[in-house]
Amino acid sequence: MIYLDHHAAAPPPEAVRHAMQEAAAVAWANPSSTHAAGRASRQLLEAAREEVASSIGASAADVVLTGGGTEACNLGVRGLAAGRIRVVTSQVEHPAVAQSVRRLRTEGRDVIALRVVEGRPPTPEELAPHLAPDTLVAIQWINHETGTVFPIHEYVQVCREHQARLFVDATQALGKVPVDVGALGADAVAVAAQKIGGPAGAGACWVRRGLELEPVLDGGSQERGRRPGTPDTLSMVGFGAACRLTRERLAHQPRVTELRDRIESKLLRLGGVLNGGNPRTGTVSNLSFRDWKGPLLVAALDVEGLCLSTGAACSSGLQEPSAVIRAMYPDEQWRAGSAVRISLGMETTEQDIETASHAFQRVLARGDA
Amino acid sequence: MSQVKRVLVAMSGGVDSSVAAALLHEAGHDLIGVTLHLWDADGEQQVGRCCAPEDRDDARRTCEHLGIPHYVLDEREAFRKNVIDPFVTEYQAGRTPIPCVSCNRTVKLTYLADVARRFDATHIATGHYARLERAPEGQLRLLRGRDDDKDQSYFLFGLPQSTLETLVFPLGDLTKPEVREAGRRLGVPNADKPESMELCFVPDGRVGDFINRQGSPTTAGKIIDPDGTVLGRHEGVANFTRGQRRGLGLGGGGTRYVLRIVPDTAEVVVGDESQLYDRQLTATDAHWVAGRPTDAFQGEVRIRYRHRGALADVTPTGNGFEVRFDEPQRAITPGQAAVVYRGDEVIGGGFIA
Repeated sequence: MIYLDHHAAAPPPEAVRHAMQEAAAVAWANPSSTHAAGRASRQLLEAAREEVASSIGASAADVVLTGGGTEACNLGVRGLAAGRIRVVTSQVEHPAVAQSVRRLRTEGRDVIALRVVEGRPPTPEELAPHLAPDTLVAIQWINHETGTVFPIHEYVQVCREHQARLFVDATQALGKVPVDVGALGADAVAVAAQKIGGPAGAGACWVRRGLELEPVLDGGSQERGRRPGTPDTLSMVGFGAACRLTRERLAHQPRVTELRDRIESKLLRLGGVLNGGNPRTGTVSNLSFRDWKGPLLVAALDVEGLCLSTGAACSSGLQEPSAVIRAMYPDEQWRAGSAVRISLGMETTEQDIETASHAFQRVLARGDA
Repeated sequence: MSQVKRVLVAMSGGVDSSVAAALLHEAGHDLIGVTLHLWDADGEQQVGRCCAPEDRDDARRTCEHLGIPHYVLDEREAFRKNVIDPFVTEYQAGRTPIPCVSCNRTVKLTYLADVARRFDATHIATGHYARLERAPEGQLRLLRGRDDDKDQSYFLFGLPQSTLETLVFPLGDLTKPEVREAGRRLGVPNADKPESMELCFVPDGRVGDFINRQGSPTTAGKIIDPDGTVLGRHEGVANFTRGQRRGLGLGGGGTRYVLRIVPDTAEVVVGDESQLYDRQLTATDAHWVAGRPTDAFQGEVRIRYRHRGALADVTPTGNGFEVRFDEPQRAITPGQAAVVYRGDEVIGGGFIA
C-alpha cells in the first residue's frame, strides 16, 4: 500500500506512537484534578502545550488546546467575531472556516468571499478595500486541496493598516512552511495535529495576548475559560511529539517537492490537467482527468494499492464534486467532478512515486475506450 | 466462472446483493463492492426510502465482513435523466411505467459495465433472481430464477448480449429462504433485513404526490363513465392506473374500476370489472434477448411483474410485436412491460402501447 493522502492525515511517526504508548498509563486522569494522578496528567498536558507553542513560535500561555482542527478554526473565527459586523474570507476555505463564516452570516454579519480564480489568491490590494476596524478577516494560509499559498504576511500588513482583525487557518501550513505566530502578527492562528502526524482529535488555536476569545462550547472554565471540557491529555501528548518533528518535516520539503514534480509531470503527460497554479506547497498535486469522475479514479487506484482522495468532503461514503475546484474554475465545471488530490509527506519515497506513477498509467489506460 | 475472476458486485445494502457477494467470496473470487447512489429520498419518508445512508452502511458492513473494498458511486444525474424524468412523463401521458426496466438497462448495468472496465473487472454480479445459460449457437439465454415467487427476469429482458456476457447472478438457482439461510451461514450482517419496495424511489406508493414533488404537477380532471357521464372529479391523472378500484372517491352505485386514462382531457374513464378484459395487446420498443424471431410463435406473456403469464400467439412486427392471448387478460396496462417466455426462457419483451 502506498499512502499519498498526507493532506487528509499524515501517518504518525514512530516517535509519536511511542510517546502516546508511554503516556497512556498516566494521561487518562483529569488534568484539572489536584491529586497526584491529576497532576501527572497535567504535567504531560503542559509539556505538550510547550511543544505545540514552540513549534509555532508562540508562548504556551497563548495556546488554547482544542479537540482538533475544525474546533480550532471555529474558535478562531467565531471567537474573534465579537464586535465585528463584517467578515472577509475567500471562496475556497475549508468547511471548518467556511461554515463558521456562514453561521456568522446567518447571525446578521456582512460576508464578503473573495474569488480565487484559477488558484490565484486575492492580492493584498484586493483585500484592502473591504477592511475597516469593524472587520474580521478569516482566511487560510495554504489551501487543503490545491496547496495554493496565500500571501499571509502581506495580509497581516493591510489588516494592521486598516485595524481589521485577522484569523489565519494554518492547519495545512504547519510543517510545510515555517509558522512563527510571534513574528507573523495575526490575531489568531489555528493548527491541527492530524496534518503533521499527530492524532485527529487534537488541535490548537493561538490567540494574541490581550484579545478576548469567546468559547464556542458551553461548559467548564478549562483553558482559561476559552475551551470548556476536559483536555484530552493523551492526544495532546501525540500532538506535542508530532510538533517536535516540525523542523525535520520542513527539511524534507525540497525532496518532497522534487518527488511531487516528478509524478505531476508524468500525470500531465497522461492527460491530467493541473488545478491551482503556483505559488503552492510542494506536497500536493491536484489534477483533473476528463474521462474520469474523481471518486471512481480514486476507487480504481485504491484497488491497485494507492491511497489518495478527491480532496472534497465526503458524507456517508458519498463524495460531492469539490467546492474548492468549482470556485477556482467557474467556467470549467467538469474539473470539480474529475479532480483527484495526490499529497505527499516526509515518509514518501522515490520508490513510492515510481510505483504510483505506474499504477496511474495502468488505471488511466482503462478510461480510453 | 470456474477460475478466479475479478468481479464487481452491485450492492444495494439489501439481503440479496449481500448474499450474492458472500457466495462469490466463498467461491474464492476477487470482489469489489459498489453501491450506486441514485436518488435522494425526501426527508419525511423515513421507512424504506431508497439509497438511504443506512443502506450504504449495510453494504459497507457486508463488504467489511467479507474483507473486500466497497465504494459508493454517485449516479444521481443519470438516474434522474434516464429513469425519473421519463417516469414522470409517462404518468402524465396516462400510462403506468415500469422504471426498473430502463433503470437496469440504461443506468445500473450499462454504467456498471463501464465501471467494471475501469476496475479491470471481467464480470458484474447482482442479486437478481434470474439465470443465464449458454445456447448451443453461442448466445446467452436469459432464464427465470428458480424461485417462482422472486423471479426477476421480467425486469431484465432489455439487456443486450454484450451486457449479459459480463453478468453473474449468484442467486438464480436459489429460493429466498435458501438465500437467507446462506446469509446466516456466511455471517452476512443484514441477513434478516426486511424486503425492500418494488418501486424504490416512491416507498410510500403515493405516485401522484411524488409526481407533484417533481415540479410538474399532475393534471386534475373529471371521472366519467364510458358514455361520458360525469361521475366525479379527481386530483390528477398520475394517481390512477388501469384496473384500479380504490381511491376513486365515487361513493355508492356499485364497484367501479379505472378502464382507461385520457391524458389530453385529463379524464379518467371508469366502468365494470368485465370491461377490463382484453385478448390483445401491441408492444413497442421490443428487445429480443437472443435475436428476433422470424415467425409468429406460441409463448407465455407476462403483462406485469406480478402476472403469472398467459398463453398467447406472439407475432413480431417492425420494432414491436402483437400478442393474442388464448384467454382474455385483466387490466392490460399501457406503459407496463409485456415479456414473452417459452418455458423458463425470456424470449424478449416490449412496452404495452
